[in-house]
Amino acid sequence: MIPIENFLVLAALLFAIGFYGVLARRSAILILMSVELMLAAVAINFIAFATYMDHDAFSGLIFALFVITVAAAEVGLALGVVLRLFRERRTANVDAANSLKW
Amino acid sequence: MTDVLGNALNLDFALLAPEIIIGLTALAIMFLDLFKQELKVGDRALPLLSVLGLLAAGAVSLFFVNQVDDFSRLIQVDNFTTFFRILFIGTTILVIVGSHEYVEKHVNHIGEFYALLLLSTVGAIYMAAARDLLTAYLAIEVLSFSLYVAVSLAKNDPRSGEAVLKYVLLGGVASAMLLYGLSLVYGVAGSTQYTEIATALAASDGSMDMALALGLVLIIGGLGFKASAVPFHMWTPDVYEGAPIPVTAYLSATSKAATFALILRWFAGPLYPVADEWRWAMATLAVATMVVGNLIALQQSNLKRLLAYSSIAQVGYMLMAITGLSSDTASALLVHLGGYLLTNLVVFIGVIHFYNRTGKEGIADLKGLAETNPYLALVLTAGLFSLAGMPLLVGFFTKFILFQAVVEADYLWLVVIGVIASTISLYYYLVVIKQMYLYEPEGDTSRWRISPTGYLTTGSLLGAVVVLGIWGTPLFRASHEAALALFAGV
Amino acid sequence: MFDRLPLPSQFDRTIVAGGTVAGLAGGPILVVLLGLMIAGTISVAEMVFYLAAAVVLAGALGAVLIKNIVHASLALIATLLGVAGIYLLLLTEFLALVQILVYGGGVIILLLFALMMTNAQDDPIVQDGTQKPFAFGVAALIGGVFIAALLDAQWGSPTAAVVPFRDFGMRLFRDFSVPVIIVAILLDIAFTGAFVNARRAEAEDGEGRS
Repeated sequence: MIPIENFLVLAALLFAIGFYGVLARRSAILILMSVELMLAAVAINFIAFATYMDHDAFSGLIFALFVITVAAAEVGLALGVVLRLFRERRTANVDAANSLKW
Repeated sequence: MTDVLGNALNLDFALLAPEIIIGLTALAIMFLDLFKQELKVGDRALPLLSVLGLLAAGAVSLFFVNQVDDFSRLIQVDNFTTFFRILFIGTTILVIVGSHEYVEKHVNHIGEFYALLLLSTVGAIYMAAARDLLTAYLAIEVLSFSLYVAVSLAKNDPRSGEAVLKYVLLGGVASAMLLYGLSLVYGVAGSTQYTEIATALAASDGSMDMALALGLVLIIGGLGFKASAVPFHMWTPDVYEGAPIPVTAYLSATSKAATFALILRWFAGPLYPVADEWRWAMATLAVATMVVGNLIALQQSNLKRLLAYSSIAQVGYMLMAITGLSSDTASALLVHLGGYLLTNLVVFIGVIHFYNRTGKEGIADLKGLAETNPYLALVLTAGLFSLAGMPLLVGFFTKFILFQAVVEADYLWLVVIGVIASTISLYYYLVVIKQMYLYEPEGDTSRWRISPTGYLTTGSLLGAVVVLGIWGTPLFRASHEAALALFAGV
Repeated sequence: MFDRLPLPSQFDRTIVAGGTVAGLAGGPILVVLLGLMIAGTISVAEMVFYLAAAVVLAGALGAVLIKNIVHASLALIATLLGVAGIYLLLLTEFLALVQILVYGGGVIILLLFALMMTNAQDDPIVQDGTQKPFAFGVAALIGGVFIAALLDAQWGSPTAAVVPFRDFGMRLFRDFSVPVIIVAILLDIAFTGAFVNARRAEAEDGEGRS
C-alpha cells in the first residue's frame, strides 16, 4: 500500500512547478500549459483524498472529474482568445499586449 | 430517493424554477438571434425578451420567501438565496434596460451578449445558493467564464482582446489556487457538504491545523482575486477599461456581490468553526484593499479606471465586515451590498449614456456636462456622492450601518482606517464632479437628452438612492431576514 | 499541412539529446528502485509510483523550462499521461481513462493547433521573462510550505478502496445532478467564447494568414 503522503507531496511539487511556469513564461500558450499542471495537481489531491479518506461517499472523485472538464473548457476558451490576439497583434506573448498597463 | 450514503434526497425541481426560466430564456435568445431575419424581429426584441424572462424569474423567486428547503443537498433555498436572487435579477434587468442602445452600437454578437448576461446571472445565484463545494465551484466558473466572454465582445476596441487574455490567464491561476485550497479542506473534513464540513471542523482535534490553515489561505487568495482585493487586484483596472461599459457595470455589481454572497456562505457556514484562523487574513486584506485602492484611484484620468479603483476600495469596506463576521455584521454587509449595487448602477448607467452621446470616457471629457445635460450631471453627482458616503443618500446610510456593526464586533481600529480611507475617496469623486460643474463645455455646447429608457432606469435608480437614503427600513429588514437564514444552519 | 510543423529541423538533435539524458538519469534510478524492491524495502506498487512520479515531474519541468515551444508541449503530454498512471495507482480506472481521452485526445490537439496557427511555425524558440530568479524563489517557497504543511498533518494510516463503476455513475448523475446541469451551461459558454474570439470578424477578412 502506497502511503497517502506520497501522492500529496507529488501534487504539491507539480503545483509549485506549474506556478513557476506561470511566473517565468511569457508566451500565453505556455502559461496556459502551466495552469494545466496546477489543475492536474489539484485533481491528484482530490482523488487521493477520496480514495483514502472518503471511499464511502467519494465526492472527491466527482470533483476531480469536473475539474478535468472545466480545465479542458478553459483551454478551449483561452486558445480562442490567443488566436484572436495573434490576428490583431501578430504575437502570442503576453508582454506584447501592452497598450494597457500590466 | 436516497444517495449512496442513505441520506434522503429531495429532487423537487420546482425549487430551481427561477434559474430554469432564466436558462431557457437564454436559449430562446440564442435561437431568436439566429433566425432574426426569418422571423422579421427588430433589434429591440432581444433585450425585451431577456427582461421578460428575468421578470418572470424574479416573480417566481418571490414564492420562496420564508421557505427553507434544499435541492438534493446541493442547493439551499432560503431567505438568503431569495435575497440574492432578487438582487441579481434586478441588477441584470437594470443593466440591460439601461444599456441596450450602447450594446447595439458597440458590442459584437448581440445575441450571445444577452444570453451570456442571463447565464452569468444563473451562476451568480448559485454562488449564493450552493450548499456543496462542488456546486459552488462550478457556479463560480459559470460566472467567470461568461464574464471572460462578455469582456471580449467589445467592437473595434483593441484593448478588449488584451484585457480578456489577462483576465482568462490570471483567472485560471486564481481558480487553481482556490481549488487546491478546497481540496485541502475536503481532505481535512472528509466531505464537500457545507453542513458536514462545519461538523467535522468543529470536532477537529487540531492534528491537521497546518494543512487546514494552508487551505484557508489559498481559498482566501482565490476569492480575493474574484472580488479584486489587494494584492490580487492587478487584473481589475485593465479588464474594466477593456470591457464594454455594461459589462464593466456588471463586473462591478453582480460579480462582486456574488463573490461576497459566496464568502458569506462559506465563512459563516463550513469555515465558521475555524474563524480564529482566518480573521487575521481578512483584516490584512481589508486594510490593504482600502488603502491601496483609494490611493491609486487619486491618480486616474480614465473614468472606467477610476471607477475600477473606487470599486476595489469598496471591497475593502466589505471585507471589514467579513473580518468581524457575525449575524449582525452579515446583516450590515447585506445592507451595504444592496446600497452599493444601486449606487454603482446609477453611476455606470450615467456613464453609458454619456458615452453613447460623446464616445469618450476620460474624466476631463466630462467638462461642462452641467451645461449640456444638467439631468445627467445630477445623476452622476448623486451617484458619486453616494459612493463617497454623503448623508441623505443610500451610500451614507449603508456605510454607517456597516461601520457601526464592525465597531460593535470589536474592530474599532479597522473602522478608523476605513473612515480615513473614505475621506480620501471624497477627493477623487469631487474631482469628477468639479469637471462637470465648474468648467465650460468644450466643442459641442448644444444641449442634448438621453433616451427614454435612460430616463426610466436612471430616474428609478436615483429615486431609490434618495428614498432608501432617508428611509432604509425595507432594505434593512430584508437583509436582516437573509442574515438570520444564513446563520440558521450553524 | 504537416510540413508546417516545426519538427524536422531540430527533431533528431533534441530527441537524441533528450534520450541520452533520460537514459543516463533514468537508468540508475531504475536500478536503485529495482534493488530496493528486491531487497523488500519498497513494494511493487511503490516502485511503480516512483516511476510514474518521475515521469510526471520530469515532464512538468520540461514543460516549464524547455525553450522550444513544441518540445515543451510534448513534455506536457508525458506529464499528463504520467498523471493518468497516478490515477490508476489511486484505483480509479475511470478517471485515468477520462484523463487520457480529454487531455491526450482534446487538449493537446488544441494546443498543437494553436501553436501551428500562431508564430510557432516560424520561430518555435520563445524568450522567457526576466524575473526567473524571482519566479524560482516563489515556486520553491510554495513547494516548501505546501510539503511542510502536508507532512505536518496526521493523516493517520488510511486505506484505499476501489469505487465500483456502477456506484460512480449513480453518484454522478443522481446525487450530483445539479453540477452536471451547471457544467452543461459552462461548456456552452466556453464554446460560445472560443467561437466568437477565434472566428475572423467580417471587417478584417483580408487580414491573417490563410
